[in-house]
Amino acid sequence: MVDTAQSEAPSGVLAVVRVNHDLVSVEALLKTCYWFSRDFVCGVSHSEPGQSTVELKPKPTCLTSPQDAKEQFIAQAMDFALRERITAKTSDVRDLLLAKAFSESGVLEETPQGVFGDMVEEENPSGMFKILSNG
Amino acid sequence: MRLTTSGSARNIGDAIIGRLTTQDLPRDLRRDHVRLVPKGGPLPGEVAGYRAVLSHNDFPTDAPVIDRLRESDHFRDGDVVVLEGANGFVRSLYRPYEQHHSLFVTERCSSNCLMCSQPPKDKDDVEMLTRRNQELIRLMSPAPEYLTITGGEPTLLGDHLFGLIEQLRTSLPDTELHMLTNGRTFAWPDYTRQFAAVGHPNICLGIPLYSDNAGDHDYIVQAVGAFDQTVAGLHQAARNGIRTEIRVVLHALTIPRLTRLVEYIYRNLSFVEHVALMGLEYIGYTPRNIDALWLDPFDYQQELEKAVEYLAMRNMTVSIYNHQLCVMKPSLWPFARKSISDWKNLYLPECERCSALEDCGGLFKWAVKKHSAHIHTL
Amino acid sequence: MARSFYPLEKFAPHPQHVSLLPFQFTRLNGEELLVNEAGEFLFAPDGTVRALAEGRVGATSELYKDLKAKHILYDDTSSPLLDVLATKIRTKCDHINGGTKLHIFVVTLRCEHSCHYCQVSRQTATKGEFDMSHETADRAISLMFDSPSPHVTLELQGGEPLLAFDMIQYIIARAKEQAAIRDKGLSIVVTTNLACATDEMLGYLRDEQVKVSTSLDGPAFLHNTNRPRPGNDSYERAIDGIERARAIVGYNNVAALMTTTSASLDHVEAIIDEYVRRDFHAIFLRPISPYGFAIKTKGRTGYEMERFLEFYKQGLAHILNINRSGYRLAEVYSQILLQKILTPNGTGYVDLQSPAGEAWNVLVYNYNGDVFASDESRMLAEMQDWTFRLGNVHKDSRRSLFTSEAALSMFEASCNQSLAGCSDCAFQSYCGADPIYHHATQGDMYGHRPTSGFCTRNMAVIKHLFSFIREDDPETMGIFWSWLTNSPLPAKRAVCA
Repeated sequence: MVDTAQSEAPSGVLAVVRVNHDLVSVEALLKTCYWFSRDFVCGVSHSEPGQSTVELKPKPTCLTSPQDAKEQFIAQAMDFALRERITAKTSDVRDLLLAKAFSESGVLEETPQGVFGDMVEEENPSGMFKILSNG
Repeated sequence: MRLTTSGSARNIGDAIIGRLTTQDLPRDLRRDHVRLVPKGGPLPGEVAGYRAVLSHNDFPTDAPVIDRLRESDHFRDGDVVVLEGANGFVRSLYRPYEQHHSLFVTERCSSNCLMCSQPPKDKDDVEMLTRRNQELIRLMSPAPEYLTITGGEPTLLGDHLFGLIEQLRTSLPDTELHMLTNGRTFAWPDYTRQFAAVGHPNICLGIPLYSDNAGDHDYIVQAVGAFDQTVAGLHQAARNGIRTEIRVVLHALTIPRLTRLVEYIYRNLSFVEHVALMGLEYIGYTPRNIDALWLDPFDYQQELEKAVEYLAMRNMTVSIYNHQLCVMKPSLWPFARKSISDWKNLYLPECERCSALEDCGGLFKWAVKKHSAHIHTL
Repeated sequence: MARSFYPLEKFAPHPQHVSLLPFQFTRLNGEELLVNEAGEFLFAPDGTVRALAEGRVGATSELYKDLKAKHILYDDTSSPLLDVLATKIRTKCDHINGGTKLHIFVVTLRCEHSCHYCQVSRQTATKGEFDMSHETADRAISLMFDSPSPHVTLELQGGEPLLAFDMIQYIIARAKEQAAIRDKGLSIVVTTNLACATDEMLGYLRDEQVKVSTSLDGPAFLHNTNRPRPGNDSYERAIDGIERARAIVGYNNVAALMTTTSASLDHVEAIIDEYVRRDFHAIFLRPISPYGFAIKTKGRTGYEMERFLEFYKQGLAHILNINRSGYRLAEVYSQILLQKILTPNGTGYVDLQSPAGEAWNVLVYNYNGDVFASDESRMLAEMQDWTFRLGNVHKDSRRSLFTSEAALSMFEASCNQSLAGCSDCAFQSYCGADPIYHHATQGDMYGHRPTSGFCTRNMAVIKHLFSFIREDDPETMGIFWSWLTNSPLPAKRAVCA
């Protein structure tokens, strides 16, 4: 669970967010901090194994309220975690797509599936589709 | 207009093709001709040198003949006809004075569309029809401006198709070809390369696509894998420099996702030179499946307008075929074409006094059985 | 034997296995915007991405079909058509094809203007010292045609290039000669303030089929404030030059670009109205580049990105109204982005490409033979920052230019697919990478996205355009498409019951 604590925050710190790495990885957390670094100084510490604590300290440019900052941080972190899941499921096919997109030789071209003939064609031992199809 | 008649055939064998003449030609000009004896006309004295004779009355002869013809008022000099020995049929294959011309190459098909206007037959007619078409092409005079190669599925001819296109390229070099195909065979790169290698300078493939997703398209064409092959086929064709257009038949199964389909065409198939949106023909399989297919064109004008605007705004060429003007939104009239072949069209009583009669394509003659409830005089 | 018909289930069975294809996403106004690897987008209800990650999108829903058609998911009932998707990705990157297409020749640094934002030395020296020599021009032309592209564009710049008119004549003659020998297409454009353009010069440009690109910053008070010259008549001379150039070189061969300064920011409608008054049909609302003297004279021309975005939004609204009234006026920056968002194509605009267009698509040959990756990097050199000088025409070949330290380090930071902040961005396909901008403004080629002006600007403009796309007002979209297809504005539809 990602939760937040507010009351015991040291002075100057706008918000504190506790992050459980079962839900949001360190990578996703750091990406969130990257985007928040425009308006905040993000202090990340490991409170316990599998957990981190983020202290968001506002910069002079910051116009966000404490509640908004926490909500936005959590929402963004969850989105980065979601992106990681998508990437994990798609990185292989993405590599294949890019290889196909930029291949010059046509070596990576797929052969079509299925048959294109009719019953007459299927019954013909030297029929066109036997020659052309991939089985 | 009538396409077929019949009579009593003798001395013919399989089939004879020839160009009709009602005139007595000098001997040395008879070679390609079939002598037609018009109703009530005098019987010719001798018919040596003609390919065959057609006659209303009995015509005893040793020459190939079909007499006791049922009808002949649809014949004109110059028409190319085929006389079938087995059944006495006389089919008109080519009429020079018409606007639309077809080369029918097979009844076989690898799809089985729910709304097919020419339901396929699983009988191998390729050899027979190819011989017939080779002769027909020889006799097509004057050369037509456009010729549609159709079936069934023309690519099932294999090499014979390449042969016919080659023959068209050399004997009718100025004739523009339009080939109606489901495009599936073109998914095989080797096939497409061979097709492109025939090198006809003026051919366009008319390929149907009915949905932006495989399940719906495959159901409509009744063939598993058809969508994937058709889209891949379109791409291979484009890669090999073969011109393509997409045809969509508008009915209850294609209208719901029509706007998605045109978006799919724009993003994936923008190389096509034309998109044809076509009205449903109440013929072939359509009557059997009419409950699943019927949607009064009047009731889908919104979707049609959105789809047409989508494509037109993006500079894609789009036409509407087989719709009556009174049933369409006026904004769509500029896209409507008079597309119904001469032998298929008909006008209803409401049409006689309609101000838009000249511009309207009318209806299919079988539309007397099923047409929009909203046909009215403009 | 008659064939049977089969029901839908035979052709659309329930999938056993659903897979995802790569996509990005962001949240806009309570919805999710998904963008696939080829830059095709889809608006979906909040929660769709999570449902996709968890395999919970119902296979019979219209949304599922939409996601399939948009190459975001696929299943075992049909092909993912990877070759089709790969072809679309390739089409989007078409700008890489052919190598460098734009070759900018700085024929002289001399100029009689002293524009506040000028990224070039204000030299009013005599001829010779800051002019391109014949030898340099010959070498640069040779390098230009070494580019693999079958067609190149030669852009003559300065300073004020017409001050070195005989050099222009030399270069054009030599370039045409070489184009014929090397069998390449050649387009030529001259970027000039037209202040010293005589009718003879314009006649020459017409005869040589050279296009003219000039500056028009807005109405007189603004243009002259931005662009001081002796006599303070830059505007009058520009208008006079435009009229004569249109008459002599041809109406379609004269284009105008504006430069935005902090003085401009309060006058967007006046600037646009000036373009309409002068019968122009394209205007480019671009932010001032933070290079060269602009950084030094920040007091005069410095401004915040926020102010620019207000300027842009207000300007676009005004431009759309002008279009609605029947006068076709395209806003070029929006058009470039709309092309990337709405069409299957990428862009030839160097500043919004990934891999970045610098060096790949544009090379700048300075008067002294130094070769730079872009106009901006030449401006950095004016301030003694040589980071992006690739070499010199007198000692380098195309190969050594492209394998120089400067080039290689820049290329590493040129693909936004692999830059921090960009690699997860939904707008990655629409945006670009600009290592030179980031080096100049942040001291780091890779850039820091959250504080990057390039990022802030593009994200805001892209979001703004998506709001129009989502709204899908037919009139507005009709106007955008008339820009994109270079067609007339759509005829007004009669309002009827």
